[in-house]
Amino acid sequence: MNDLLRILAGPLLWLATFSAVYGLNGVVCGVCAGGTAFGDVSLPRVIFAVAWLVAIGLQLGLVAALHTARLGSRSSFVRVVSRTTGWVGLAASLWTLFPTVVTSSCL
Amino acid sequence: MNALKRHRRLDAIWSSQPGWKGWFSTVNHSDVGRMFLATAFFHFLVGGVLAMLIRAQLATPHSAFAGPEIYNQLFTMHGTIMMFLFAIPTFEGLAIYLLPKMLGTRDLAYPRLTAYGFWCYFFGGAMLLLSLVLGIAPDGGWFMYPPLTGPIYSPGINTDFWLIGITFVEISAICAAVEFTVSILKYRAPGMSLAKMPIFAWYALVTSLMILTGFPPLILGSILLEVERAFGLPFFQAEHGGDSLLWQHLFWLFGHPEVYIIFLPAAGVVSTIIPVMARTTLLGYGWVVAAVVALAFLSFGLWVHHMFATGIPHMGLAFFSAASTLVAVPTGIQIFAWIGTLWKGRPQLHLPMLHILGFFVTFVIGGLTGVMVAVVPFDWQVHDTAFVTAHLHYVLFGGFVFPMLAAIYYWLPLATGRKRFFRLGEVAFALVFFGFHLTFLAMHWVGLMGQRRRIPTYAPEDGWTTINLISSIGGFIMAIGLAIVLLEVVLHMTTRHRVARNPWRSGSLEWAMTLPPPAYNFASLPHVEGRDPLWADEALAVRLARGEGYLGDPPDGQRETLTVDIATGDPDYHVVYPANTRLPIVFSAVTGLFFLSLLLKVYWLTPLAVAGVAAVGWGWVWTLGRREDPGTQDVGRGVRLPSSDSVARSPGWWGSLFLLVANATFFGSLLFGYAFLWTVAPDWPPPALIAPSLFVVAVALAGAAFGVAGIALADRANRRGGAPVSGLGIALLGTLGSAAAFAWLMIGTPDPAGHAYGATLFVLGAYGLFHAALAVLMTCFLIARLRSGFMAPGRAAGLPIVGLWMAYLALVTVPILLAAYLPWVLA
Repeated sequence: MNDLLRILAGPLLWLATFSAVYGLNGVVCGVCAGGTAFGDVSLPRVIFAVAWLVAIGLQLGLVAALHTARLGSRSSFVRVVSRTTGWVGLAASLWTLFPTVVTSSCL
Repeated sequence: MNALKRHRRLDAIWSSQPGWKGWFSTVNHSDVGRMFLATAFFHFLVGGVLAMLIRAQLATPHSAFAGPEIYNQLFTMHGTIMMFLFAIPTFEGLAIYLLPKMLGTRDLAYPRLTAYGFWCYFFGGAMLLLSLVLGIAPDGGWFMYPPLTGPIYSPGINTDFWLIGITFVEISAICAAVEFTVSILKYRAPGMSLAKMPIFAWYALVTSLMILTGFPPLILGSILLEVERAFGLPFFQAEHGGDSLLWQHLFWLFGHPEVYIIFLPAAGVVSTIIPVMARTTLLGYGWVVAAVVALAFLSFGLWVHHMFATGIPHMGLAFFSAASTLVAVPTGIQIFAWIGTLWKGRPQLHLPMLHILGFFVTFVIGGLTGVMVAVVPFDWQVHDTAFVTAHLHYVLFGGFVFPMLAAIYYWLPLATGRKRFFRLGEVAFALVFFGFHLTFLAMHWVGLMGQRRRIPTYAPEDGWTTINLISSIGGFIMAIGLAIVLLEVVLHMTTRHRVARNPWRSGSLEWAMTLPPPAYNFASLPHVEGRDPLWADEALAVRLARGEGYLGDPPDGQRETLTVDIATGDPDYHVVYPANTRLPIVFSAVTGLFFLSLLLKVYWLTPLAVAGVAAVGWGWVWTLGRREDPGTQDVGRGVRLPSSDSVARSPGWWGSLFLLVANATFFGSLLFGYAFLWTVAPDWPPPALIAPSLFVVAVALAGAAFGVAGIALADRANRRGGAPVSGLGIALLGTLGSAAAFAWLMIGTPDPAGHAYGATLFVLGAYGLFHAALAVLMTCFLIARLRSGFMAPGRAAGLPIVGLWMAYLALVTVPILLAAYLPWVLA
């Protein structure tokens, strides 16, 4: 069961962060759509960008953990597959949450 | 014991009852798999006829072939049948039939559940077909958007048939998903580690996990819409704080993964057949597994791309557009793995390979148009046009039907022990392939010219006449091709033209048996050393028939198998299966009575049906277990294993675990709906909030804690040889307290029919109450088992199962209380 969880962990984390940021988009735009921070940058933009960086950080942490001997699987096959899916999670976080810094925040 | 004597003894143990009565009592996976496939393809036939009627209507402008009311029923039922009654059940049937044979075991984890799932599917499908025959079929489109399908605009019974019939059918999908997940993880041949599993098993495992997490949002949506229609709780009505977009979210949370739930098993078939046809092994097995997992997860991040035209904020659109383009990458990796496999092997153009080539061409085109509609501005242009209809047919027909036709021709010799005599398949393939592309290439074109989907007719001046006629001609050519496939299958089964064992010279275990397979699959279970056991040992089938594997010395009247450790494939424990029984059909009939009472609005019958379900369920579980300690079992090859009745992680525990995964997804979807309405729906915050009740909070939390602690105490006492009765008493007290607290919460909610806030809280309370009642029933069951002598230190499998459900009740209690009282606290 642990090996199965290792394989699913990366994409599962991406799914959680993706859903969280999407939900955050709804909540933040409902509460403080007009606020600003750091001069001209809108407050929602800052919040979303931070959320994106947190998501990337979590994925990086997971990938690093899967590469350690302590948390990696003893099966070479599961090790390869789980690390691959870990990188998939990281790539998916980078790509799918990239709109947080380039598209309009609350339109 | 020689091979013949062993075969006779096993056959006597495993065979179904002779004659037609055997169909109603069989629990054998080969029988149920065949029943599933036959029923699914019957539905395919009905759905195909409906498609022909649609194309007949659209062949000419101003057609009077069918009026708008009938036409609405035709396209709704075509989509519904193809999605829910053909595609998913075909995967279920194929997997039920094949998985135990591929995994080197004798049956799936829960044979009675397999049969129960089939009968739920059969009765649910019959319910929907009956509505079609009576002319009162669902007519709101296969995704049933409210407010069109709500009580105001669809007051008749048509929509209820869909909501109730589909929910009934979904039970079978959830049953099958739990069954497959546990079977693949635990019921494999010894030695078969995760790395040595046949690739189809990986696909089936991922698909099953997707069903467990993808179907509950639809089940929830269907329940909410039916409750709105029947009792006026306004989840989707904007004037009462509801939002029709909530339905779209719940539906597509299911609906987009559904596309991949349909595609992945077909891709598993392709990954299985291509290496055999190319006389080589699959290139990049590990990469393919990783790609399948990635594809499954990414598919859950795409649902909003069906809602690009609903006014969702730009950032949300961009998230889902990005995810929709990304999903092409793992799909591409699989396609390159298949091309690489063909490249490194020596492909032979047998009939299954023809259909796989058809799949390649069609699915890649469908994938490319998928990337096109993933781009928001393009989607805005083609949304709800025939272009989208054409795209989904390219993906689903190309990605599912062609591989399934390949599967039919590949595995028919296995199922029948015969080979093709009349060579009609090649002609059929040509007609299907040509007809399909004629139909749907034209549909892309006419969609780009502006023809909307689901229109009953059009005018000559629209300029779509010729294209629609070409499309209709293509549709009928395709239908002729599929009819020839059906004819050939019938001829195949009626001509006695024996096939040699392993005609394709495959390396996988399903060919390591006599053809057609006996009811027990393997006379003895193999010890697997690699991914292609038959290539490693060509005499394996003979050695297994001689009893040289595990469990080669069958005891009288006992259907047995063994389980393995999930990761390593080391033998784990010994399992005895239940024998033939009519319990599954009776259970599904009683379940059907519950759904029928809702459909016909005979509400006095509903509690009786619920009591009937509880009573039959009680009887179902009661027949399991023993009154004497089984001890360890000799399974052959010098290995002794404990019995499944004596272990903490019994088959029932694993089944409960994965059923709770689906249950948690259902609950998560409900919380999502509540949060969505709070943040998006009009007329929120609600006019009145429910004030926190100290009684409800204290009793609910204490009840949950008592339930968990009581079962834990009982389990510990039982394992130490003591009396678990005090622990069970504490658990019973706790669960009764939980039930009372949730009932009180429901009573205290503001008018559920007045605002979506009260309605949602009422449903959350009902969810808690249902689980508390279930926990009460389970605890009572354990007390009855204790009194009847079923519980002892060596027979403790039941307590951990109930412990799992108690833990779940405790887990959901906290969010329910927070959802109920936190808004008041914050306000």
